[in-house]
Amino acid sequence: MSHEYIPEIAIDREGNEHEVQGWQDDFYGGKLGFWLFMLTEVMMFGAMFLALAYYNTLHPEDYFNASASLNRVLGGINTVILLVSALTMGLGLLKMRTGDVKGAKLMIWATIILATAFLIIKGFEWKAEYNHGVFLLHDKLLVGPGTLPFGQKLFFGMYFTMTGLHGLHIIIGIGLMIWLLKRINAGKVSTEHHILHWNIALYWDIVHLIWVFVFPYYYMIGAAGGTGGH
Amino acid sequence: MDTNTVNYKTERASYYKVLVGLLLLTAVTFVQPHFFMTHSTFLAQMLIAVVKAWLILMYYMHLKGEKLIGAMVIFSLFLVSFFFIITIGIDVPNFQYAAESYITAPAAH
Amino acid sequence: MNKTYFDETHCAFGHPKSTFMQWMLTIDHKRIDLMYAAVMFTFFFVAVFVALTMRIELFAPGSQIMDGDTFNQAFTLHGVLMIFLFIIPGIPAIFGNIVMPIMIGAKDVSFPRLNWATFWLYIVGCLVALASLFIGEGVADTGWTFYAPYSLNTDTNVIMALTAAFLLGFASILTGLNFLVTIHRLRAPGMTFFKMPLFVWGIYATAWIQLLATPVVGITLILAILEKYLGIGIFDPSKGGDPVLFQHLFWIYSHPAVYLMILPAFGIMSEIIPTFSRKEIFGYRTIALSSASIAGIGYLVWGHHLFTSGMSDIAKTVFSFLTFFVAVPTGVKFYDWVATMYQGKIVLSTPMLWGLGTIIMFAIGGLTGVTITMIGVDIHLQDTYYSVAHFHYAILSGVVWLMFAGMHYWFPMITGKMYSESKAKISFYIQFVGVNLLWFPMLIAGWYGMPRRYFDYLPQFEIYHQIAFVGAILTIGGMVYMFWIFYKGWTKGEKVGPNPWNATTLEWHMPYSPPPLENHTKVPYVDFDPYEYHQGEPVVKFDYETMKRID
Repeated sequence: MSHEYIPEIAIDREGNEHEVQGWQDDFYGGKLGFWLFMLTEVMMFGAMFLALAYYNTLHPEDYFNASASLNRVLGGINTVILLVSALTMGLGLLKMRTGDVKGAKLMIWATIILATAFLIIKGFEWKAEYNHGVFLLHDKLLVGPGTLPFGQKLFFGMYFTMTGLHGLHIIIGIGLMIWLLKRINAGKVSTEHHILHWNIALYWDIVHLIWVFVFPYYYMIGAAGGTGGH
Repeated sequence: MDTNTVNYKTERASYYKVLVGLLLLTAVTFVQPHFFMTHSTFLAQMLIAVVKAWLILMYYMHLKGEKLIGAMVIFSLFLVSFFFIITIGIDVPNFQYAAESYITAPAAH
Repeated sequence: MNKTYFDETHCAFGHPKSTFMQWMLTIDHKRIDLMYAAVMFTFFFVAVFVALTMRIELFAPGSQIMDGDTFNQAFTLHGVLMIFLFIIPGIPAIFGNIVMPIMIGAKDVSFPRLNWATFWLYIVGCLVALASLFIGEGVADTGWTFYAPYSLNTDTNVIMALTAAFLLGFASILTGLNFLVTIHRLRAPGMTFFKMPLFVWGIYATAWIQLLATPVVGITLILAILEKYLGIGIFDPSKGGDPVLFQHLFWIYSHPAVYLMILPAFGIMSEIIPTFSRKEIFGYRTIALSSASIAGIGYLVWGHHLFTSGMSDIAKTVFSFLTFFVAVPTGVKFYDWVATMYQGKIVLSTPMLWGLGTIIMFAIGGLTGVTITMIGVDIHLQDTYYSVAHFHYAILSGVVWLMFAGMHYWFPMITGKMYSESKAKISFYIQFVGVNLLWFPMLIAGWYGMPRRYFDYLPQFEIYHQIAFVGAILTIGGMVYMFWIFYKGWTKGEKVGPNPWNATTLEWHMPYSPPPLENHTKVPYVDFDPYEYHQGEPVVKFDYETMKRID
């Protein structure tokens, strides 16, 4: 990726000059490409929400009860953590764009710490569910003739799948942020060339966006009470 | 397109404003099941989520003013909503074997 | 001696001296394209060979050379290889990569290093699919559609097949992404969307399907893997899961996938018809917009694969209506092509022969699809050989034949040589007869009730299978002969200039063929339509040193 790219000039029949957009040094192209990639994430999680809603339609009461049994306190804390991390990521990008590279790096670190906190709290949630006998492969409830009704089994099957995949995306995000810090230190990402930072911030925003829908669908639809699942 | 034309103070202010908006909406999510639209919690929650998503897309993700990318996002969302309308809106609620199918019959586990 | 893209290249990293490493690391879209072609045609012939063993087995009732379980693995392997390794990467990988950037006046795609990485991701997917042949219980025996619950219970290598399909799907997504950004960003100055050649429109519409539809099957495959190993329950009836949901999710991708196959092919047709009618294409805008509408409406019709699955009647009606609707833009294209030929000076070269042959055959393929869009008719014809013949008419003598047409058309541009026209025409006629002998009897057999994926059958169907076998031999013979003609053409054929067909689009306006590394000497300013002919001759002429118009 050379920084000395000089665009070609095309000349029309009247003699006017037109700059040719090359594939190198194309900020808008990099942005467009990453947005397109995020659309694939929308389709992917959209399909999972489709499966979730499919069984919701067949078993509305089971879903209500299963949702009631989730830990809204931990889920709520995670929501706020992710929200603030979106802010820190955005501020980091803003600092990079306006020349404060040191401040940008600090903000990236802040985001990494918040993301890690999210994962830890999620881990506690999953552990609690496991102790209650609700987990994948757990003999009691999900494999074989368990004690939960169909709708609740399916709810929890999708719950672990979606929060698991979301968590995987958070881990990937942390990895991307660490890589970003390395690239900044190597001088490859700077105020003049920050498309990588821009795109990773976008990535983090979509990770947050997915949680904006995951949280209410799983945690809040049974929030008004219910007999609880387990 | 944007690298050095960004005003630090105004952008930062808008980020904080959106943060406050999102935090408020999160608080609303928690009180809604007990205080309003209590019989259509699902709808209320999804509406709040859509408003949050719009704020995030427009301001954090800088979609405001992006015509081409905005059109692409709208197209994809329309596509997903179509999948929902057909499968969840039309197919599953009209499942005609609910009484006999193992997965839905009243005696089902 | 002019320097072509065979003499020099750019690499993803480093500056390797050996030719081998230069090919392994090349980021040049033209070289990547050729590598895709080499790998894909190899798998194509493997899949053809598997089909031949199936045809031998089906020559008579009862077991000939394999048992029922092996037969199930055979048609699964044939389907997986043909669909995921060959036809879906298909024309975008083999022609989109090489021709599209040149047609818009670009020097490469928007993300050449991503293009390089995507190729190797494709290779990894192929290796995983191949490995499933040799490990454990062997190739999956579920059919390429991997329907639950059987796919979750069988001991064969379903998981490897699903993983391979996931990796290949990811490669498809990244290719679509790359092409979308390329077409939006790298068009030559002056080239608006409605000045792009129709092949680029085809690739553009296809790229949208690659991008948005593939993730759905990607996640479906992951959910199936999670179901098998972690028991999440969503496709397992013993936990309340619904196998019909798997079918919904699977076909939400796999139906748009067939439009992904045919749209670039139609794009090739739209290039060939004007060139060999020596006339501007009729209805440029409607053809362009029909590509976009096929892509759009194509997302909405997947339920016609579920007519006999237990889906609700209302949903069936909605899907049947939408499916009739999606046939209309295709019909528009066919009328526009025929209208282009009207009063044109037809040149019956081999590419044109393949194009004309496809018009006849795809008409059969498309119309037989419309037959089974009628729900009542589909109850009888679903999962019979009628469906199988329908999609082979559409895919083999639709997509693949247009791929062959493209090969004959762009061969001189890519290689700088010409093949033997007379021999190539013979190969076409052999295959035309062969494919009809192979598939027409199957339409009849299906109508009379011969089920698909059956390894044994009642004696009344024997005659159809035997005629089909003869057709298969002719078809395969014709294809092998065709590749032999290409081989001879590349190695011993006569050298040609950059525009042997006297066509108008930008890929024919390079200084020499094979083209230089960075395509045009200079990017031209495009203030002309893509198919401007006047009395059979191209209007736009260039000075190839400066790429200025001299007409």
